[in-house]
Amino acid sequence: MNLDPSFIWTAGLSLLQALPETLWITFVSVAAGLVIGTAVALCRMYHIPVLSQLSAGYVAFVRGTPMLMHLLLIYFGLPVLIDGISSAMGWSFTSASIPLIGFVWIAFSITAGAYMSEVVRAGIQAVDKGQVEAAQSIGMTTIQTLRRIILPQALSVSLPNLSNSVIGMLHGSTLAYTISVVEINARAQIVAADNWKYFEAYIAAAILFWVLTILIEWISGWLEYRLNAYQRGGAL
Amino acid sequence: MIQLSGLSKTFGTQQVLKEIDLTVDKGEVVVILGPSGSGKTTMLRCINYLERPDAGEVRIGHLAVQGKHPSRRDIHQLRQRTAMVFQQYNLFKHRTALENVMEGLTVVQRIPRSEAREISARMLEKVGLGSKLDHYPGQLSGGQQQRVGIARALALNPEVILFDEPTSALDPELVGEVLEVIRRIAREGITMIVVTHEMGFARDVANRVVFMDGGIIVEEGQPEEIFQRPREERTRQFLQRIMPEPNYSI
Repeated sequence: MNLDPSFIWTAGLSLLQALPETLWITFVSVAAGLVIGTAVALCRMYHIPVLSQLSAGYVAFVRGTPMLMHLLLIYFGLPVLIDGISSAMGWSFTSASIPLIGFVWIAFSITAGAYMSEVVRAGIQAVDKGQVEAAQSIGMTTIQTLRRIILPQALSVSLPNLSNSVIGMLHGSTLAYTISVVEINARAQIVAADNWKYFEAYIAAAILFWVLTILIEWISGWLEYRLNAYQRGGAL
Repeated sequence: MIQLSGLSKTFGTQQVLKEIDLTVDKGEVVVILGPSGSGKTTMLRCINYLERPDAGEVRIGHLAVQGKHPSRRDIHQLRQRTAMVFQQYNLFKHRTALENVMEGLTVVQRIPRSEAREISARMLEKVGLGSKLDHYPGQLSGGQQQRVGIARALALNPEVILFDEPTSALDPELVGEVLEVIRRIAREGITMIVVTHEMGFARDVANRVVFMDGGIIVEEGQPEEIFQRPREERTRQFLQRIMPEPNYSI
């Protein structure tokens, strides 16, 4: 077998064109996932009727099925639903006008939401009960307690796990190639096939993902240091 | 004036409060004594509904809160009129000493930040922590944390401050500084209900001592009455166990 090391570099440069797609997919799914995850965790922890059962079902289904399945179900199912509603209501909107990456965003947000709800739940449960009692004793409402006392502390506790979720979503974003969204992985396939140099192209993709992962770890390490400043003893 | 009437609470099959009646006048310092499991902490926590009584009424001034399921608004009102100092301090860990004291002022009482900052700094000064405003709880000793806890309660200007064994979690050498602060604010005429095991403190700060056992108030009275001439056998036994009398006289 002939390895062409210089082509790794060439392929790498070409992969950078697809970097924005990968980053967008990761960013949107993580951001939406965090919002969904927090909402779901709260519904379950406060035992809100109906919503808590729905949330439990959602988490069980999503965590019980592969991420690729979520993408395919959304990609094939959502147009049927949207076009059905649209024609019943007499709208001119059709699912064809949704960009492909939109399906990826929706599907992976659903995936991330389920996983992150467990991370957020663990974080909230790690907050000392005394913190809540202190907040209540000074007359704070449940919402104020949640927003000002519980969530900030839960977030800083969950940071290592959240960064794991981000890395998971970054690597999972490669599945978007199955519905023809050209992110890094799909781009690597294209470059490889054009030049008949598969191994080199995938080495380049692997290195790029590794670098991105290291960056995420750095950022999360820095955030952890900042957010947990209060937990370090000693002088300021 | 604070009035508890018919306060009852059961955990599982254990009835920890049996129709407690207690009245505390404005400016009074009431110390609750009793063996562990006697219900004193539960009673204190019922006053601000951190623990929900199964039956009975908590009345503070004109506000009367009743039974197990009062309205959210009533509970909220009750908590705005009371403040609590916890055994484990329970300072907000992610907030500095100053922010801990300010939190209730800005968020609950909606006092402008600059004014809240001024009040909070003054309160921390008062408990001897004027130089620690920007320290996080993790950077303070237990005694200092508890003094921040007291400043946090004081700043809210509540109708009563509830102290739940405020020195029980402290190293022995730090107990003094905290008791000294409580003693000082007691003299200012702030209404206080204190659950404690510090007999010396009870003796010289309390206007009234309440002795509880088995979920009831066994007896109450002036400190010298309770400590020197307890009427009830149970009180006598408890006091003897806690402070054994010397078998000699000077």
